[in-house]
Amino acid sequence: MADRVMECTHLWKTYKPNLIAVKDVYFKIDEGDIKLVFGPSGSGKSTFLRCMAMLTLPDKGDVFLRDECLTKPGVDLNKARARIGFVFQHIYLFRHLSTVGNVELALRRVLKMSKSEARQRAMQALSDVKMEQWANNYPAQLSGGQQQRVGIARAIVRNPDIILLDEPTSALDPELTGEVIDTLRDLAAKGTTMLIVSHEMPFAREVADEMIFYDEGTIVETGTPEQFFTNPQSDRAKKFMTRLILKTKRE
Amino acid sequence: MIDLDLIQGLLLIAGGIATTLEISIFSLILGLAIGLPLSFVRIYGGSLRFLVDGFEKIFRGIPELVLMLFFYLGVGAAFPFPFKNAFFTAVFVLGLRSGANQSQIFRGAIRGIGEEQMVASRSLGLSRLRSIAYVMIPQVFIFSTPGLGSEYALLVKDSAYAFVIGVPEIMKNADLVRAQTYDYLVPYFAAAIFYILLTFPIATWLDVWGGRRKKKLGL
Repeated sequence: MADRVMECTHLWKTYKPNLIAVKDVYFKIDEGDIKLVFGPSGSGKSTFLRCMAMLTLPDKGDVFLRDECLTKPGVDLNKARARIGFVFQHIYLFRHLSTVGNVELALRRVLKMSKSEARQRAMQALSDVKMEQWANNYPAQLSGGQQQRVGIARAIVRNPDIILLDEPTSALDPELTGEVIDTLRDLAAKGTTMLIVSHEMPFAREVADEMIFYDEGTIVETGTPEQFFTNPQSDRAKKFMTRLILKTKRE
Repeated sequence: MIDLDLIQGLLLIAGGIATTLEISIFSLILGLAIGLPLSFVRIYGGSLRFLVDGFEKIFRGIPELVLMLFFYLGVGAAFPFPFKNAFFTAVFVLGLRSGANQSQIFRGAIRGIGEEQMVASRSLGLSRLRSIAYVMIPQVFIFSTPGLGSEYALLVKDSAYAFVIGVPEIMKNADLVRAQTYDYLVPYFAAAIFYILLTFPIATWLDVWGGRRKKKLGL
């Protein structure tokens, strides 16, 4: 049986007034798993992901990273976050730092590596996402796809236990989306544990071990990509999949 | 009474430039030391933000002239050290007022940079303090350069208030020349030119440099 990497139990997050983004969610992901969360806009997927990374603190429930309960009082959340890679939809690279500066920041300031060791690791991570030749460029000098690949390098460089990706391609045009998907495909091939919020259905079908349909703050249905593509169980998932597949075909 | 000719008078006024610059630069630095932390407290400090708000309102609301006389004559009577030192009091008062101004300049910059830069930094495992030091502050300075340029210009101009407590800066020396020569035009006109020369080039350079840097970084 594979080791648990992350788990949450009875997770709740409510925004005022009475907007429930995460409603009593149970979720678990094991070593090497790739799970893909999809669902309508505004359903709470991003909040769920941010709660898992403890970037948004849940109101109730527990989040576990390996054997450590992150919701227990007194837990060093900075240390925990350093073990989780997070990739944002809108990327959020640090604009005053060069590409390599973005990637090595946490190595230097969190993991306390020497300058030369951090630089070497950062260059390796940039090479993994095929961005080493832009190491000295600033984010504003890169395309959206290149920026997101740097965002991925920034997340993987610490060798985190898991990478959480919040719609990593939705802000990019189809051509740039391809670059990022190729990078994610490489990570999948290396056995990286990933929880991805995405609507990239061909990619999901290719790499995901499990798909999760999320709507109105809760997990409505889980299953393999094949199950979702051929026979979703719930009406909501059925309707959403039909629309998504049509949209993908149009593109 | 010393009889000064025009050249001597101008030289005397120019002799105040160093003191004017010292007051301006020291109070800018004091203002920075006060304003930068206050701006972050105002945004991330929870209930402490009300204290910052009060500080800003007080020091932006009271004229510098009143503050200078209050600290030099009033507080200085009770605490001759350090407030009877006119240069110290001038820097202290202008620094406090500049701190209140700079807090607002930096706060605008923090808002302009956006909360997501902080979230991205926290996602890497950096503490809030480290995120402020390594991610926010470098961007805050770039964002704030036009505002800091204006603040510097304001301090150079406001340093003239130090004249009332006897600091020998440009304005004090211009007034001395006026008193000695009975010329009401040239000394003040010369002082005005010196103030423009001290403010305009640096404020403009900061504005241009900041603009270029912001463009390069996409800020």
